[in-house]
Amino acid sequence: MLKLNNLCKVYQTEEVETTALDNINIDIEKGEFVAIMGPSGCGKSTLLNIIGMLDSPTSGEYHFLGDEIAHANEKQLANIRKKNIGFIFQSFNLIEELTVFENVELALLYNDVPSKERKERVTRVLDKVGIAHRAKHMPSQLSGGQQQRVAVARALVAEPAMILADEPTGNLDRAQGEEVMDMLKKLNEEGSTIIMVTHSPSHADYARRTINLFDGQVVTEMYRAAE
Amino acid sequence: MFKNYLLIALRNLKRNRIYSLINICGLAIGLAVFIFAAILTQYEKSHDIFFENAARIYTLGSVLSPQANYSVKEFDGVYTAIAPLLEAEATDIEATARIVQDEYLLTLGERGFYQKIKFADKALLKIFDFEYLAGDTSALDDPLGIALTETIAKKYFPAGNAMGKVISLNFHSKIDLRVTAVIRDIPRNSHFISSLIKDNPLEVIASLNALKQMDEFKLEGNWDNITTGDLTYVLLPSHLDGQWLEQQANDVFQRHASDDVKKFISGVKSRRLQDMNLVLWDAVGLPIITVVMGLGLMVLIIAGLNYTNLATAQAMDRAKEVGLRKTLGAKIGQLLIQFLVESVMITFIALLVALAMLEIIIPVFNDRFGKILSLDYFSLLPPLVIITFLIGLIAGAYPAYVITRVKPVDALKESLSKGLKRSLVRSAMIGAQFVFSVFLLAMVAVVTIQNEKIMKSSEIFPKSQIVTLQKTWVGDIPTRHDTLKREITALSGVENMTFSSQVPFIQQNWTFDASKNSGDIAGKVNLNRIMVEYDFLKTYDIPLIAGRDFSQEFANDMEKKESTVLNVIINETALKKLGFKSLHDALNKSFYQIFRDNEDGKKSRAYVIVGVMKDQNFLGLHNSIKPIVLRVHSQYYETASIRIKGKEFSATMREIERIWKKINPDYPIQVEYLDDIFNHMFKIYKSINIALAGFTVMALTLAFIGLFGLAAFMAAGRTKEIGIRKVMGAKTHQIVTLLIWQFSLPVLLALQVALPLSYFASDAYLNFFADRIESPIVMITGSGLVAVILSWLIVLTHAIRVSSRKPIHALRYE
Ligand SMILES: Nc1ncnc2c1ncn2[C@@H]1O[C@H](COP(=O)(O)OP(=O)(O)OP(=O)(O)O)[C@@H](O)[C@H]1O
Ligand SMILES: [Mg+2]
Repeated sequence: MLKLNNLCKVYQTEEVETTALDNINIDIEKGEFVAIMGPSGCGKSTLLNIIGMLDSPTSGEYHFLGDEIAHANEKQLANIRKKNIGFIFQSFNLIEELTVFENVELALLYNDVPSKERKERVTRVLDKVGIAHRAKHMPSQLSGGQQQRVAVARALVAEPAMILADEPTGNLDRAQGEEVMDMLKKLNEEGSTIIMVTHSPSHADYARRTINLFDGQVVTEMYRAAE
Repeated sequence: MFKNYLLIALRNLKRNRIYSLINICGLAIGLAVFIFAAILTQYEKSHDIFFENAARIYTLGSVLSPQANYSVKEFDGVYTAIAPLLEAEATDIEATARIVQDEYLLTLGERGFYQKIKFADKALLKIFDFEYLAGDTSALDDPLGIALTETIAKKYFPAGNAMGKVISLNFHSKIDLRVTAVIRDIPRNSHFISSLIKDNPLEVIASLNALKQMDEFKLEGNWDNITTGDLTYVLLPSHLDGQWLEQQANDVFQRHASDDVKKFISGVKSRRLQDMNLVLWDAVGLPIITVVMGLGLMVLIIAGLNYTNLATAQAMDRAKEVGLRKTLGAKIGQLLIQFLVESVMITFIALLVALAMLEIIIPVFNDRFGKILSLDYFSLLPPLVIITFLIGLIAGAYPAYVITRVKPVDALKESLSKGLKRSLVRSAMIGAQFVFSVFLLAMVAVVTIQNEKIMKSSEIFPKSQIVTLQKTWVGDIPTRHDTLKREITALSGVENMTFSSQVPFIQQNWTFDASKNSGDIAGKVNLNRIMVEYDFLKTYDIPLIAGRDFSQEFANDMEKKESTVLNVIINETALKKLGFKSLHDALNKSFYQIFRDNEDGKKSRAYVIVGVMKDQNFLGLHNSIKPIVLRVHSQYYETASIRIKGKEFSATMREIERIWKKINPDYPIQVEYLDDIFNHMFKIYKSINIALAGFTVMALTLAFIGLFGLAAFMAAGRTKEIGIRKVMGAKTHQIVTLLIWQFSLPVLLALQVALPLSYFASDAYLNFFADRIESPIVMITGSGLVAVILSWLIVLTHAIRVSSRKPIHALRYE
């Protein structure tokens, strides 16, 4: 599905140069469930953002579905992104001014799905994550766990081939965290490729493969046998 | 504690450099414009106050009756008969003095000069305490005594010592005037100098007795005519006021004026000396002081709104800081003070910048417009400090209120509640700004296009090709008119030449009464007469729509004193006014003069219409077209108009001057280009336009600076949302539409107020003109459109910048 070759990301600020990613080589197949782990500041979010095309690498290659896109422009990236990738963030990132329903609908809106179909799909996906009864609420009226479920719904609704999650359980309590993890697992079983950043070893256990980062470099990779 | 507030305020200024700059610039511009308007109006209102009696001096003006059907509403002077009657009948009056002015040829040995002379009652020197360099207030006791200003004395007597010297005035006969006083030049801020339309500076004062000797002026005055600039001054004892004077003067007027006079003039008006220099604006009916002050205030309000808007937007960024301070125990009062201190500090910095700007602008303005405005800090600073302080408080109050109202929990939450970001109040402020801007823009458009129209109308005369020679009636020049014309027309560069009693664009109404049927007094109409020479129509390209031009072949074309039948050319308006149905009906038909009371005993006279010319606006373009009768009459050839062809303009001019010198060696040539005559008349409208345009540029700059800042802030406030939408796949244009729509709503609402407002204001302005543009609607909607498009462009550039960045920037922002 995607392949990173000698990928580097350097942040240039006024005084210092930070190498957030240093020569990363990763190959991820379709249908994988990958967890990325490592200490704070080691470059996990940076890596995920580059994979998700929210940011571009400083050097190196990025092949996505066979195309080299490390140097593609924002417009091309946006096109690939909206067709293939769904995002779940640690801080949910819902739009405050829109209802739950509208937030989820957003992903379809920009994919030019006709209105009637949008309605059906949003209802279906809200049902799936168990938040349908809150469809008309505003995000601020929901608990953190509920908000994250909305965020998951939003990531799912466009049926992307790949879902990226940056510490999806970071702001949730244990029970809520498990619920979200179960949802991700189920999605993976239905065929989605999932890449997730997490600090929790137990949540990493849901994934088949764990990549450990340290100081911007891949230090170890671990495969878990299929159950 | 206070020092602490100041420190925090300074640090904030430094931290948000760009927004501080926008804030300060905007406010500074607003303050500068406002202060300038205030200084200017104060200056215009405080003319002549350096005269000791200023507060007790009044002038008398005439109010035209509605049926006079005249282009102005008032005259600045009254009939010369009024002052002596008033002094005799209202005995409480301390003194009255009249001025009758005109230009005369003065000779000093070999040299001749045309000089404007003010003939005055000798009380003038009692009323006004001029500063005497030589002589004293008795200067006019001698009927032939004259007072010169310093500059004029130096001009005529470069060697100095003008006192006692003789200057000859050549009119019907030659009289010798003697210099009996030299006075210091009048300061520029006096009505004696700074009259807008007629440049008649006070340079030479002579006695009305001299005028009586040379020109049959009657000291008791007359009820015949009122000449602009010929003023009547009244000095009152300090216990009486202008209202009393007006009452007395009207009583005198009602008692003595004939019915014919009353038909034309409905009453007398008194005016404080200080208001004299604005009399022209009164005549047009434009309350200029109010307008200028209103515009200044408008710009200041825009600047204030701007500031409030930006400050509120900026305050949003600090909600977190406020929330934190609150959780740490800060009281609302302390927070309020902190914000207000900051706001007041910014306004004071803006005031400094504004004053610096004015230090540069005012000298330039003075130089350009011949005024002497000054930044008098001593009297200016106290009110300015108060005003600035108030602006700081008022403009800062709303953002301070909004921000301190934020609850700690809300402020500490990751994003602010949306209510703050898109509040009604702020939309209303953007809207108000827009109303002002669109209004001003529309007014400028209307005034500009109306001016264009006047310019265009003036092109009906070949004005750039015409040179006029003035004062061709002086002395014995008329005896050599034929020679002059023969020699000048023989020049290869001259196409045509004609004499006439007046030239286009000059508002000079000489009228006579006539009716279609002989002796029909009830059916009489008032017609303007212009005395011309044979080549007049050709020289001015005036087309005939029927009949023929004047020609020497017809004896009756030339008017003589005893003519009983005279051939004339009239315009279409005169034709209609006289009651002729059609061109055909009028041609070769006659109408008859009706003589007025004072013309009693004259023989009746028939005017035969031999030609009809197109209606053209001959008498100044703000007047409605008058009924005009052209008559060939050599006694009234006051001006020669020469039409020059080809490129050798200056060579031809040199030839003309040479010929004039040869033929009229005793008289200086007085050349005036028709273009200049037009521009002079046009000056007042041009200056309205310039002033308006100046204010508008300022207001628009402010509005758009504000809009730009706001766009930046609004976009910043929605950065996260934009980021999310982008991650969800929104295209750039979708984001841009989103942001633009947010702005469009208040803007569109504002248009609904601004457009009708502009319509009424411009309609009122256009009504000053007879020859007005039909409807200002196109210009007004155009202005609205321009404003909307410009604001869209601003938001657009900003929105594009924001939305084309990598989405991660947006998400990381919060
Ligand atoms: N915009 C930026 N400018 C400069 N340096 C940055 C920027 N973003 C991240 N960094 C630096 O890059 C490195 C990697 O950051 P990143 O956010 O990827 O860490 P992380 O592994 O996600 O940490 P955490 O577990 O705390 O979320 C850090 O040292 C960080 O300081
Ligand atoms: Mg991270």
